[in-house]
Amino acid sequence: MTDAKKQQGDRLSEAEAIERAKQGDAAAFEALYNLHKRRVYSLCLRMTANTAAAEDLTQEAFLQLFRKIGTFRGESAFSTWLHRMAVNVVLMQLRKKGLPVVPLEENIETEEEAPRKEPGADDPRLAGSIDRMQLQRSIASLPPGYRMIFLLHDVEGYEHNEIAEMVGCSIGNSKSQLHKARMKLREILKTSRAEKATKP
Amino acid sequence: MTCEEFKRVLPELGSGHGIEQEEHLRSCCACSDLIADLNAISKEARFLQGSEDPSPWVWNSIEVALRQEGLIRQPQLEHSRTPTPMLSWRLRWLVPMAATLLIVFGALIYQRGTGQPQTAQQPKPVAGVVTANLQPADVMGGEDLQLLKTVSERTPSMRATYEADLRSVNAYIRDAEQSAHSDPNDEVAQQYLRNAYEQKAMVYEMALDRSLP
Repeated sequence: MTDAKKQQGDRLSEAEAIERAKQGDAAAFEALYNLHKRRVYSLCLRMTANTAAAEDLTQEAFLQLFRKIGTFRGESAFSTWLHRMAVNVVLMQLRKKGLPVVPLEENIETEEEAPRKEPGADDPRLAGSIDRMQLQRSIASLPPGYRMIFLLHDVEGYEHNEIAEMVGCSIGNSKSQLHKARMKLREILKTSRAEKATKP
Repeated sequence: MTCEEFKRVLPELGSGHGIEQEEHLRSCCACSDLIADLNAISKEARFLQGSEDPSPWVWNSIEVALRQEGLIRQPQLEHSRTPTPMLSWRLRWLVPMAATLLIVFGALIYQRGTGQPQTAQQPKPVAGVVTANLQPADVMGGEDLQLLKTVSERTPSMRATYEADLRSVNAYIRDAEQSAHSDPNDEVAQQYLRNAYEQKAMVYEMALDRSLP
């Protein structure tokens, strides 16, 4: 596609793009893709922790969206509709691969269960010192089930009732897993910071 | 409230805390630090939303799939996408009008060719015969003005269009006449002139038909 066409696509408002996409306009499809690709891809990447899989899932999510765009009536925000669809695509894919979507049996030793450490001057708060790259790596190292709940709640902003509906678990379970995921992340981040501090 | 009790209820607390928990947090540095850390993680995680870009091939693959599935439709040519009733209406009249006029002109030429042989001393052009009955100039004649008056009474919105059409076709007739006069034996010039009159006749037909109540 030429630059001129690309710019034309970018200039389209979302509402215009939706209507034109319903008519089969290629530039409108591309405009919608450009508007939402980062969020959908980031979600897929964090959930799978694999670039190739994330790109495949992104493609599948958008294809499903575009196939159904004729049914979009605007009752909800388009982005809500799209991200819900993306989440569903990812969840379906994870289920197909046999990866746990709902963390029921995962037993992660977090600070709650770990031997009690005395808070001291050498164990300061994380606040203000969280390295974003390290946070990404820490999230990637979480078990898939915990990672899923954490991403949906803390990154994507879904409420527990929505998550429970999406992944098929109880609201209490969603809350519990989120808490454990955060605790685990805290532990990883603190360990990482301590390792950095001891390096010459 | 003890630390154990606080941690037990922590997953259910969400963003707000009750009075009991607030009191505990004020008196317990460990739990206070824990809450601060969890909040910091949660806050920082929000910045990860939409932070990654997919490679360009993702869109390429999507576009290919959309085309294969027929969801992307090829843009149609302007004339076929937008209906042009005027054009089809005009074309509807083309065949009988052209046939009638060709017969008339053919008869006139035949009459001229058999009854009045052309010589170099008598360069009587075909156009001279025809222009006796039709308005030849782009300047509006009496018939043209009468036609426009009729149109403006019945379909005022079309008056400007027909006026422009008449001026255009009159100019065409004038040019064709000049060519025919300059070389009366030029068959191409004669054909142009016939075409010009055909067009004017069509404009009249359309204007009268369109402006009928």
